[in-house]
Amino acid sequence: MFRLFYTPGWFNGYDLLFEGIVLIIALLIAAYSWRVYRINKENKYAYFSLAFILVSLSLIFKMFTNGILYSFPIRETVATVLAPATGAHLRYADLFYRAGFFIQMASMLGAWLLIFLISQKPRDRLNKYFELSQIGLFVYLVLLISVVSNFEYVVFYLTSAVLLSLIVLNYYKNYLNTNNNKNAFSVLVAFIFVLFAYLCFAFVSLNSSLYVIGEVLLLLGFLLLLCTYRKVIRKK
Amino acid sequence: MSSRRSRLELVFDVLLAIQNKGGVIKPTHLMYKSNLSHKLLNSYLEELIQKELVVIEEEPVKKKRRPSKVVKITEKGLSFLAEFRRMREFTDAFGL
Repeated sequence: MFRLFYTPGWFNGYDLLFEGIVLIIALLIAAYSWRVYRINKENKYAYFSLAFILVSLSLIFKMFTNGILYSFPIRETVATVLAPATGAHLRYADLFYRAGFFIQMASMLGAWLLIFLISQKPRDRLNKYFELSQIGLFVYLVLLISVVSNFEYVVFYLTSAVLLSLIVLNYYKNYLNTNNNKNAFSVLVAFIFVLFAYLCFAFVSLNSSLYVIGEVLLLLGFLLLLCTYRKVIRKK
Repeated sequence: MSSRRSRLELVFDVLLAIQNKGGVIKPTHLMYKSNLSHKLLNSYLEELIQKELVVIEEEPVKKKRRPSKVVKITEKGLSFLAEFRRMREFTDAFGL
């Protein structure tokens, strides 16, 4: 059966729980950003919302494919259900997993890219045609990387790490521009956690426990985003 | 030089000026505090009254026969101010 990489057996299931929490946080942020967009009709809020929806989509697909891989009875049931589509003896089962991994990677890369574009300043450069041409080029690259990553998973994690480094840099600039705003600092630290999580995932082939560290860092990063979100919405 | 204020920011400035004066302000003072022309302020006030964010009330004035008009912020206006502050904090925090 096709798998991206092997994770520590004892951790199977816990990662799904961690990702479930991250998924809820991402949806909360997406919903609030969408609400802000509906009030002031500025595109950047809609893009930000879309970015976190893409993060959620990626996590849903990751949880789905990993969940099936971890759980043998479910896997067998799914195999039976999919048998007519995948052919006798599930000769094309790999295709199902590859499709799952592809959507997971494409949507996550798309999300990081959108967050990077939104956090770029000055805003004036994001005029209509500049925006469209950049998005077009990046969509092509995201799809290309996602296809290649199905064979070499490290390409996906390294590309994500590069994008996250640029996002961290933009958030550092934002922190300085907002006169050392505490919430801006929390968001900066949160993305640093996410960056280190992806660096751990990139080198998981060296030691499978890096996957556990990566998942913990990812959860910590998103919990910090949740704290910031709560502080923001509780402001009077 | 600071950039032009958006429509939403102008509404926020008008409501903030009223809140800073204890929730009630004279239209002339509001014009100076929110840095708007008479014509523009009137158009914004019309919209704010329509959306029930502010109300115009008449207040008796000593030494004058006719009562003067004052602009008063409503509960809805106060909650809009709080919502706008949250939006601005979200924008700053997430670098939008």
